[in-house]
Amino acid sequence: MEWFPVFLNEMLQFKRKLLRLGYIFSAMMAPIIYLVTFGLGLGRTVRLNEGVDYLTYLLPGLVAMSSMNNSYSWVASSLNLSRLYFKTFQVFIQSPIKPSSIMIGEVLSGMVKGIFASLLIILFGFIVNSSFRPNIIFFVVLLLNCFMFSSLGVITGMITKSHEDTATYSNFFIMPMAFFSGTFFSIDRIPSSLQPIVYVMPLTHTNIVIRKESLDFEGLVSLCVIISYCIFFFIVGSKLINRYSD
Amino acid sequence: MIKIEGVSKNYGKIKAVDSLTFEIKKGEIFGLLGPNGAGKTTTIKILTTLTKPDSGVCFISGINVIKNPQEVKKIIGVVPQENNLERELTVYENLYLYGMLHRVKDIKRKIEDILEVMGLRDKKDVVVSTLSGGLQRRTLLARALLPEPQVLFLDEPSIGLDPHIRRGLWQIIRKVKFEGRTILLTTHYIEEAEVLCDRVGILSHGRLSAFGTPQELRRDLGEYVVDSFDDYGRLFSEICRTREEAYKIAKNRGNGVTIRRSNLEDVFVKLTGERIKEE
Repeated sequence: MEWFPVFLNEMLQFKRKLLRLGYIFSAMMAPIIYLVTFGLGLGRTVRLNEGVDYLTYLLPGLVAMSSMNNSYSWVASSLNLSRLYFKTFQVFIQSPIKPSSIMIGEVLSGMVKGIFASLLIILFGFIVNSSFRPNIIFFVVLLLNCFMFSSLGVITGMITKSHEDTATYSNFFIMPMAFFSGTFFSIDRIPSSLQPIVYVMPLTHTNIVIRKESLDFEGLVSLCVIISYCIFFFIVGSKLINRYSD
Repeated sequence: MIKIEGVSKNYGKIKAVDSLTFEIKKGEIFGLLGPNGAGKTTTIKILTTLTKPDSGVCFISGINVIKNPQEVKKIIGVVPQENNLERELTVYENLYLYGMLHRVKDIKRKIEDILEVMGLRDKKDVVVSTLSGGLQRRTLLARALLPEPQVLFLDEPSIGLDPHIRRGLWQIIRKVKFEGRTILLTTHYIEEAEVLCDRVGILSHGRLSAFGTPQELRRDLGEYVVDSFDDYGRLFSEICRTREEAYKIAKNRGNGVTIRRSNLEDVFVKLTGERIKEE
């Protein structure tokens, strides 16, 4: 439980932010705009081969995207600020806890933030679409997705040299993933020459599994890819914390 | 208690610390003195495991800081130059989290005790960002003392504080020394070093230029200084070994001459040709 003070630190600050209410609205704003624009607006004209209406197709993708954005951005941004500007990260480094414990605390706090934002979208999904029925696979992959992107957030937070860099990484990696990883449309529609790139993107695999009613071969492969990314990002993040030097 | 041998640290082409070697005895307050950029903070960061040196070794209480940082972290407390408290949290929450990180036993009672000692009891539920600079420094010191460290590192402990608040902080630091802890502090306030430190080291460009008690350093330099100004307002300071010698020089200089006791800044100027408060 060495990680607990790191986690508690983030949670106490998260609680303060929640009390300001602005956070809830900002966390919900982008996915709800997408939901209204693409789901309720443009979506009415979209016909899918899968035989489901577009809103039912879109909702799991928006949840995945929202969990990615919130887990990643909160951890990357908060770690970057605490390391470079507030110097509060140095308090963890100077304490006798293992670097992996710092990593666990940061990742779990990112997961909580990602799950919280996702639950808001799920709740909104129930309101606008009565046929939205998330299953156990949905929630398991949601947790893994939050873990994966929180870990990636730690990596970004540790390697960025200024706060502006965080936005650069976000624009180059997170933004393309949000649009091309099967959130809004099936990856089959992407030109075959670009598909290998899409399959490297971690969110693609989350979007594949999160829409499965049962775990088939494709789902199982994607689940393995997600777990591999989780392990890889976690190890890299821990190593970066371990090698930290001011 | 603290031993540094041949420690160097470069940032690109800049030599922040250059083959630094010195020892600090158990229970003393040791001051590292020097202008900004002299290498004081880098030295503290190396000793507190935050920065890895390029070469050299250092030991705290016999533990190798570079090879065994986790063990060192258990016996040290750090008050950094910049306020790194969690600004959005209360004083109590900051202390509680720090106590948990350092596995402080009987944490609630110890927090109450330290709040009492530091005069922060009525501020415990106040959010840090709303505290004055002086109270924030006191909270930082309380936080560092909570795990009862054997060695305390204070990096510019009174920087930016009003003189009367600075003096209050000095009293607390002395109290900590009398509890038997070893203290390494950096400062560029001459008075602070003279009032608090048993011994000082003067750092210049990452190297130690002088080392000893403030009295020894002054004595070696000469205990009296004759200050005078020329027609262009430039200050001339002449160092004298005896009062008689100082009077003799002052007589020859005419009006506007003052004789005073030498201080560490005179030692510093003599050794390095720089003024301590220079940026």
